[in-house]
Amino acid sequence: MSALLKVENLTMRFGGLVALNDVSLSIDKGAVLAVIGPNGAGKSTLFNVVTGVYRPTSGRVTFDGAEITDRPSYEVVDRGIARTFQSSRLFSDLSVLDNVIIGMHTRTRTGVLTALFRPGASRREMAACVEKAETLLKLGSGDLFEQRYRPAGTLAQADRRRLEIARALASQPKLLLLDEPSVGMDDMETDALVADITRLRVQNPALSVILIEHDMRVVEAFPQHVTCIDYGSKIAEGDFAAVRAEPRVQEAYLGKAVAHA
Amino acid sequence: MQGRASPDVPGIAAATVFAIASQIIGAAFLYLILRVDGGWQVVGLLALLGLGFYLLERLPWIADYALASFARVPLVAMITAAVIVLAFPFFVGSNTYILHLLIVAELYAVLALALNFQLGSANIPNFATGASYGIGAYVSALLAINFGVSFWLTLPVAALAATLFGFIIGIPSMRTRDTYLALVTIAFGVVVQQLLNNFSWTGGPNGLVGIPAPSLFGHSFADPLVIFGWKLPSQANFYYLSAALVVVAIVTAHRLHGSRIGLAWNALRADEIAAKAQGINVAWFKVLAFAVDAFLAAFAGTIYAFYVSYISPDNFTFLVSVTIMTMVIVGGMDNIFGVIVGAFLLTILPEKLRAFADYRLLFFGVVIIGFLMIRPQGLFPQRMRRYGGEP
Ligand SMILES: Nc1ncnc2c1ncn2[C@@H]1O[C@H](COP(=O)(O)OP(=O)(O)OP(=O)(O)O)[C@@H](O)[C@H]1O
Ligand SMILES: [Mg+2]
Repeated sequence: MSALLKVENLTMRFGGLVALNDVSLSIDKGAVLAVIGPNGAGKSTLFNVVTGVYRPTSGRVTFDGAEITDRPSYEVVDRGIARTFQSSRLFSDLSVLDNVIIGMHTRTRTGVLTALFRPGASRREMAACVEKAETLLKLGSGDLFEQRYRPAGTLAQADRRRLEIARALASQPKLLLLDEPSVGMDDMETDALVADITRLRVQNPALSVILIEHDMRVVEAFPQHVTCIDYGSKIAEGDFAAVRAEPRVQEAYLGKAVAHA
Repeated sequence: MQGRASPDVPGIAAATVFAIASQIIGAAFLYLILRVDGGWQVVGLLALLGLGFYLLERLPWIADYALASFARVPLVAMITAAVIVLAFPFFVGSNTYILHLLIVAELYAVLALALNFQLGSANIPNFATGASYGIGAYVSALLAINFGVSFWLTLPVAALAATLFGFIIGIPSMRTRDTYLALVTIAFGVVVQQLLNNFSWTGGPNGLVGIPAPSLFGHSFADPLVIFGWKLPSQANFYYLSAALVVVAIVTAHRLHGSRIGLAWNALRADEIAAKAQGINVAWFKVLAFAVDAFLAAFAGTIYAFYVSYISPDNFTFLVSVTIMTMVIVGGMDNIFGVIVGAFLLTILPEKLRAFADYRLLFFGVVIIGFLMIRPQGLFPQRMRRYGGEP
């Protein structure tokens, strides 16, 4: 089986700081890969390079058979990679519903001329978006659907995380990148998040997910593929038990969550 | 709050009465403020207006009720609006000064709606709307004077020329941000004005004179307009023409706002990085906002040129751009109705408050600072989009 996403020898320098150092990894269609590592290890930077926010200093990223290194974000999203942000970046003055509809940007086509001269087509496209968005909002845990006309900025923390996931799913991605989705969630909400991700995979077996997580309870739930990054370098890879047993990983975490997970 | 407590949906009868009465009251107020001659009467009307806004602010259900009513009987609301706009000149009668103010207000409403795509929807500060307006005016005037091109043909040509200009100023917006972008647009505006001032074929500082009046079905716009035996001054021709343009601008704004494009603009206003992560080509959508702005502004410029029949670089200065910007900020960013109210208020008030006439820039400066400090969302704040006729 050929990999859906393949990252080869990726290096990202910010001035003198090496945020990613010769990192290679890959993920198959339908798989979940958990990326762990201490603060400042370079995990979010990995997402930023894959999604075209940063241009890597060197290395290659291939997705679904095409090279996407250095490609602009909008093209990457169009090809089927959607992401969430560690510190959620919602469109706070727009409604919950509008946030999700904007997530469908790459799957809709209306241009200025269509909007002006074929308003019927534009309206039908919008109506279809609203319907899909409402379905997405009903799907996840929480009551986002009931709150669909609230400004996204007024949502509670857990709902903000859920909305970011719904917005990312709106682009019908093949690969979903989740940057610490459980931040700011209590235990119950985290369990619901794990259930959400599990259900997503059942509904769409082809969907691949890369999950950056600090909460080992979440990682434990998807234990097949785990990669640990420290100081920009990949230090371990394998299933959760193997990675956790790795002395370098324990050293990196130094008695943190991993030790008693 | 954005609470659930559903606002009582007005019945058809109540909605009809409200839609008609509120618009008549609005028109009557406009009529009064146009009629009064300075002094205490203006102050009194302003106090009334202030009270109105205060009530709207304290009792938000009024605005909800108004919107619900208009949404309930959209046809009645539109017909009422059309009748009021068509009938207004008959009440004004032979007072050409009032008609002139109305035309200017209408053209400014179009310009403010044009700028609203950028400032309101996408939060791009553009100080070159005045320049696009000028380009529209000059292109159409030059075509008419030198080549005898008809007004109706110059409209689209000038708009396309200005759109090209919009694309050109839009290009730096891909790389520069916020403050610097504002500076770039100011520079563009100044350059355009200087060029108009220095080229010989634009008439230099003297501008262009003798722009021929348009005509339609053999009726010259320089002639009085006779309808059912009523004789309206020639300005009425341009009043109706400008009103038609306002309608075009409203429809354009409404359609773009309600489409994927309006949402994309709103997204990049809220968070550019997040917008990129949704697959929005941010650079392209910024340029697009410049182009749409220039396109509409050029229409206003063409009508202005043919209306006054004489244009000079002084008509399209930096002050014009600042004025347009003030209208958008005061009226309400990304609120079509608000922007139009802003344009009318800020066209008419400085005329009525003669004391301010010599201090226009100061007046606009104070108004902008005041609004940004006290009410940054403007008189009529942006409203959440509602879909499928839900409350
Ligand atoms: N744009 C940037 N410019 C300079 N340095 C950066 C930039 N982005 C990230 N870094 C640095 O790169 C390193 C890796 O950051 P990154 O955000 O990828 O870490 P992380 O693994 O996601 O950490 P955390 O768990 O805290 O989120 C950090 O030292 C960070 O300061
Ligand atoms: Mg991070």
